[in-house]
Amino acid sequence: MGIAATVRKFIATNGLGMALFMVLGVSFWVLVLVVLPQITMVDFSFRPKLPPAAIGGPQDVYTTANYEYFVKGNPGNPEGWNRVDVTVFWRTLVAAVFVTVFNFVLCYPVAYYMAKVATGSWARLLALSLVVPYWINEILRAFAFRIIFGDAGLINTVLKTLGVIDVSIDFIRADVALYAGLGYAYILLMIFPLYSAIESLDKNQIEAARDMGSPWWRIHWRIVMPFAKQGIVSGCTMVFMLSAGALAAPQILGGPSSLWFTQIIYQGFFEYFNWNRGAAYAIILLVSCMAIVLGVTKLVGGKAGEIGR
Amino acid sequence: MRPSVLARGVTGLYLLAFFGFLFGPLFIMVVTALNSSSFPRISPWDCLTFEWFVKLAGDERLHSGLLNSLAIGIIVVILSVSLGLAGALFLARLGPTSRAVVYTVITAPILIPGVVLGISTLIFWDRAAQLVGLGTGSLFYNGIFLTVLGQASFISSYCMLVLIARLQRFDNGQIEAALDLGATNVQAFRRILLPFLKPAIISAAIIAFLASFENYNTTVFTISHLHTFTTIISQKVRLGIDPSISAVAFIIIVLTLIGAMFYEGAHKRAELKKARELPVGNLLRSLFGRNPAMIMGVMVVVATVAGIWLAMGHSAEQCKADLLEQKLERQRQLEERYRQSQPAGGAGEPGTAPASQGLGAGTFGNVFDPKNLEGQAGVGEQGEGAPGAPAEKPGQSTFGNVFDPKNLEGQAGVDGQEETPPAAEEDQQ
Repeated sequence: MGIAATVRKFIATNGLGMALFMVLGVSFWVLVLVVLPQITMVDFSFRPKLPPAAIGGPQDVYTTANYEYFVKGNPGNPEGWNRVDVTVFWRTLVAAVFVTVFNFVLCYPVAYYMAKVATGSWARLLALSLVVPYWINEILRAFAFRIIFGDAGLINTVLKTLGVIDVSIDFIRADVALYAGLGYAYILLMIFPLYSAIESLDKNQIEAARDMGSPWWRIHWRIVMPFAKQGIVSGCTMVFMLSAGALAAPQILGGPSSLWFTQIIYQGFFEYFNWNRGAAYAIILLVSCMAIVLGVTKLVGGKAGEIGR
Repeated sequence: MRPSVLARGVTGLYLLAFFGFLFGPLFIMVVTALNSSSFPRISPWDCLTFEWFVKLAGDERLHSGLLNSLAIGIIVVILSVSLGLAGALFLARLGPTSRAVVYTVITAPILIPGVVLGISTLIFWDRAAQLVGLGTGSLFYNGIFLTVLGQASFISSYCMLVLIARLQRFDNGQIEAALDLGATNVQAFRRILLPFLKPAIISAAIIAFLASFENYNTTVFTISHLHTFTTIISQKVRLGIDPSISAVAFIIIVLTLIGAMFYEGAHKRAELKKARELPVGNLLRSLFGRNPAMIMGVMVVVATVAGIWLAMGHSAEQCKADLLEQKLERQRQLEERYRQSQPAGGAGEPGTAPASQGLGAGTFGNVFDPKNLEGQAGVGEQGEGAPGAPAEKPGQSTFGNVFDPKNLEGQAGVDGQEETPPAAEEDQQ
């Protein structure tokens, strides 16, 4: 069946109006909002930073300078590599993995409880209690952690009053506040995929294993987790991508000496006004996060196409 | 299967700790909105006050940001729900192979970091404007225009997911029957499919609005020189935290709880209607009938009202004056003790000397400097003249004059943080 015939059939079954609505809507979304901007960004990242007048002129040639800068830094850099940016990039990824694992460990028992133990209005109440904090602005949630972990924050005040410590513990500098805040921010995105995956597990499988004498941890390790693998992959992917790409929480909760990679991108845009380099850095972040997600998904045998479902 | 008492106890404790982690920070933040201390804190408690709400009410920038956010939110809702609907319908009509491809493309924006979406939108429209020769004053550089498009790129995916979940339960035979009976495609869509999708469209619209309203990562790049509610809040938090932000949180959390209550009530009502166990009573009854969420919500509202009622009979000004008096008294004692322990008339004594030179609020400029934090003296202590520190640490001359009675009299010690210069912004970076 040729393209013309397919189009004709599509119009015939849906009517011209509906066919136009669908095709125009999807094309606008996919092309104008997603694909073309991404392509432009890639193109832009391979060009030098130029004043508007010089754009399209003889200097406007493709170059990998922006990417080289990420690795090497300025040409005269005595260290030979871009210590700040590479370190921050590496630390961001490691920290995002850490936040993801922390979130999984934290949320798995609750998701299991909600899916297999809780019933009726109690289960609904739990679900609602999970959603309510998620409706509060991300900035405000980070702010709440600032109040708790700050130098004169709740924890330090309590510890001092109890006489446990004399001088404040600097949770902000130690990045404790940041990790707690990031973990907190994405709890919902971890729990719901886990919940819906575990929920579809037949309870008889768990009971059979228990009847045959399997201890509780082996039931989870050998039955529940393999069954819920796709949900685990989805939840971990979302939390990892969002924490690695987080901007607000690091800006508010990050220590004075530690940066998040998104903050470097932000600085590139708004402090050095180097959009080209900012675009290159954004692509570095996007591509490496995608690579990690796809790699890990393949490793555990999940399906990348199912993520987010 | 009967779990042991131990297992149940552990589960209960874990759930308690988990939900404590979930709600504790919000609760603490809300309570700090009512403390008169200029640093948001819960302990030590100063005075019950509503001054932070008053301060919010007079914040013009926040109001204009709120208007921008609402305008953006409404346009994003319309755009995203339409695009999400087009996507969901389109997917339902594709074969399995092309369906998988299109599905991946239109759900990808959910996983792309918001920062990347914002940057790509900004660059794309900048290039487009240069291509067609539009100046920086044109639509393509308009912060609201760019923000709507940047946000819609991924919010449409949320809407699509919500709509497709409902669409999967739709019986296409209904449309075919309508078409056989002579309805046009548009009629069939409007009279059959749209009413069926209505609950999902409403959910999608709510999700889209909330996602747009709270979005920061994309918006901060696309909004250019304008502001939204969220970017203003973020600036405020980074410039120096004060309890008026807690007051914002207070309002949002109360609104959220009320929203959740009504959502839950509506759900209950629909459930009852469906089950036809009972004749559907009035809204009130469905709101409260065996509904723990509602009871919790009512308790929160009652507590708030009680708090307000208490505050009506309570003079924050009087309380603050008392507190100031206590601090002054304490300060006098400390100075007395300090003078006794030192040879009289020593020059360069921190605490008294710099203050007598009449340094104003500017001395607080470095309160938020991270270097101060390194000095391990609490922000709150420094800013508010909490009693106890100066005598033990006479060496920290930067804060010495915070404790000067003159400052306190002028209320600079209490309100000084509001004037903190924006130096803190760079420090946060």
